[in-house]
Amino acid sequence: MTKTNDRELDTWREQWSGVAEPPADFQRKVQQRIERQERRFVLGNILRAILLLGMLIFAWFMRHQSTWMGTGWATGIWVLVFVAAGCRVWVLRRAWRPQTQSTRAFVELWHKRVTACIRLLQISIYLSLGWIIFCAVLTAANWRTIGQDVGAHPKEWVALLVVCVLMQYPVIWYGVAWLRRRTVAELNEVTKIMNEMDGKSLP
Amino acid sequence: MNYADSVTDRFTGQVTIVSEQRQALEKQFARILSEHGAAISRLAFSYEAVASVREELVQEIALAIWQALAHFRGDCSERTFVYRIAHNRGLTHVGRRRPPHQPLEELEESEQPVDPRPHLDEQVARTDQRARLMSAIQSLPVTHRQMIVLALEGLSHAEIAEVMGITENNVAVRLTRVRKALKDALGERT
Repeated sequence: MTKTNDRELDTWREQWSGVAEPPADFQRKVQQRIERQERRFVLGNILRAILLLGMLIFAWFMRHQSTWMGTGWATGIWVLVFVAAGCRVWVLRRAWRPQTQSTRAFVELWHKRVTACIRLLQISIYLSLGWIIFCAVLTAANWRTIGQDVGAHPKEWVALLVVCVLMQYPVIWYGVAWLRRRTVAELNEVTKIMNEMDGKSLP
Repeated sequence: MNYADSVTDRFTGQVTIVSEQRQALEKQFARILSEHGAAISRLAFSYEAVASVREELVQEIALAIWQALAHFRGDCSERTFVYRIAHNRGLTHVGRRRPPHQPLEELEESEQPVDPRPHLDEQVARTDQRARLMSAIQSLPVTHRQMIVLALEGLSHAEIAEVMGITENNVAVRLTRVRKALKDALGERT
């Protein structure tokens, strides 16, 4: 323990130094967590790659169907994958540095990350709505040929589309709203910490 | 030697270098944990009162240190590096914490840290003083907590400034304010 001429601080330091020892099996538990984390990292990357590849293979397969519906599906999936990936890269730019920096820099980065996350959630809602509109417009524009493929009346297709949207969107909205509530709560905490650092709202 | 052999040799060489680097990192990490493990545990005390959650937090800090270790280029002291990561992880924990559900037995445990030293009366008095200090520190705003913990760990003003990302003068001014706040909080607990 560092001794100074400051008796008050020395007394506190003496009391503080006896506060806690790490648990006996601390190193073993940390080792286990590291292994678990590395496994999860590899598995996550494999799953992401499978998902992306699967979507691309599906799009390629649909593209080689002779129908216009196939072309529509393929275009829709490609646009969705690239727009979603592009949005994520754009929104999270300059927010990737690790947490080895000073507290001030870390909290500023954290604030930036949480704000980016909220923006990403908003964009994802617009993006999903945009995707539906894009598919609807594409279908409408090519209805003459698509109609021959599927052999159905446009009204039936519109009804099917509306039912699909009504079935999926409450779930998506609920999920996004729940995630947004959590992120906004986190943003409030970070803002509070930033204010504390600037000396605002302290006792 | 044909092309395939040369590619295989190069790949084997790369794998050997990577595994040697990994072993060196693991050694460095084990040393950091044995040197700074107690300080990390103490630091976790200031961010979390519940014993079981605190143990999780200590492990998460260690994990964050492991993840950052490969990028450590020695541009600051190892101690500063460890404290930076530990405090940043502690702050994230505070920011993402849900409202606490603290079981009674855990509360009692968290207020009475274990002291391995003998002499019962002395030990009881020390435990009591320590519990008051801990409770007073935990009642401070999070940035005050961070500053007093770094000071109690014996970091110089320059090191505290480096960890927190503020100037040394600012550290001196703020530390005076934080010590006053801690004294007031301790006074309330007497």
